[in-house]
Amino acid sequence: MFRALRLRPEPVVTAPALQALSIEQWLGDAQYPLTIRTINSLAYDAKQRFYRTLVPPPLLGRFGINPVLWRGNGYRVELFAEADSSRVNISINNPEDENDAYFVLELQDNATNGIDLNLIVLNDPFAEKFNIEFDAEGKRTHWGTVTRNVVEEERAMRAGLAPAQVRAGMGFSRQVLEQLDVFLALCARQAVSLEPLTYVSAWIFEKRGFAYVRGHKLMDDIHHEFQPGGKLRAALDGSTPFRQPDAWKTVRGRAWAIHDGILDVIDERWRDLRMVKVVGKHAGVESFPGAIY
Amino acid sequence: MRENFILTRAAELDALGAFRAFIAKTCKQLGIPQQVAFELQLACDEAATNVIQHGYAGMNPGSIMLELCPTPNSITMILTDFGHPFEPVETDVPDAQALLQDQPTTGFGLYFIYSTMDDVNYYTDEQGNHLVLVKNLTKD
Repeated sequence: MFRALRLRPEPVVTAPALQALSIEQWLGDAQYPLTIRTINSLAYDAKQRFYRTLVPPPLLGRFGINPVLWRGNGYRVELFAEADSSRVNISINNPEDENDAYFVLELQDNATNGIDLNLIVLNDPFAEKFNIEFDAEGKRTHWGTVTRNVVEEERAMRAGLAPAQVRAGMGFSRQVLEQLDVFLALCARQAVSLEPLTYVSAWIFEKRGFAYVRGHKLMDDIHHEFQPGGKLRAALDGSTPFRQPDAWKTVRGRAWAIHDGILDVIDERWRDLRMVKVVGKHAGVESFPGAIY
Repeated sequence: MRENFILTRAAELDALGAFRAFIAKTCKQLGIPQQVAFELQLACDEAATNVIQHGYAGMNPGSIMLELCPTPNSITMILTDFGHPFEPVETDVPDAQALLQDQPTTGFGLYFIYSTMDDVNYYTDEQGNHLVLVKNLTKD
């Protein structure tokens, strides 16, 4: 007799069920994985201590925000972490307009009791804002994924932004993701997952050490088809502002063409990609070798 | 201090060549005997092929991460994927006679891995599905 491996019919839940976790268990075993829901069940000050690790102090310094008080210089850090919720949202917004976010980080427990990074926004407050979030009729575009404001998107592209960006970025993605590793270790968690919104997002997360649960082959196919003789390269025919012939050369150029639906020519769509980062490990994925941003 | 060597590729058959080259290069760099490198390459081929053919069935394939972790007395090869998990089952030793007679048979890949590696372990956790293969570098 020897042991063979056969496929499991169901996904494996890798952390205890949400209801099984309690603060008492947390106090008793430092290796017991904490969920967002568990942390959210704490008193506000206690959960703020946990979530403080998610925001790099240099980022707060950029705004003149006190890292302990979470306010200063007219700004404040907003924490939404309701008891009984499995989601936490931390943000710094324009003091004049709470819908104008400069920094957003949102985490959520997922179906297999892992943790998902739902959203990360790092916008430079001093950069021009582009109205890509609303279409000509004032309806939300959901970053151009549901409907599009093509006029604003073209302006944003010419200003050097990537799809779904409303302002130029302020950097800090490396620091925020390093802090996220610290937070996950604090919670006895070993990985975080996400769904990249755009090709640029996927490329950035590759650089930050993520691998793919789904879509690594798609990223390789995209790179291959943007090479000479490839179908995507051929489809950069100038038929729209987002499909200029030299777009294949850069991450942003490819991203805008993909946002514009160019993957149709290889019978694909930008959907269902999923990435994962193992705490403390860099996967070294590079689906666009030698990429120029 | 232990140094880790990681190579991640999409779960496609094209990855096998890259993994083989990575193992050869890393073993040479670490001064690991060529025979051990060869056995690691074959074990990697078998294990990765299994993941490629079955682990990502029904989805756009994700990644396979190959990690080599040397110690002074052994080298551990970890293959991590994020697809469908496997589960260990007890089974009979595959029928070599059937193979010789060109009859359909399965199970030789993993049997070969067990035969050439000093320790084999498989588990799934928050970090993915891991096949851990240990090859001792010192003689018993």
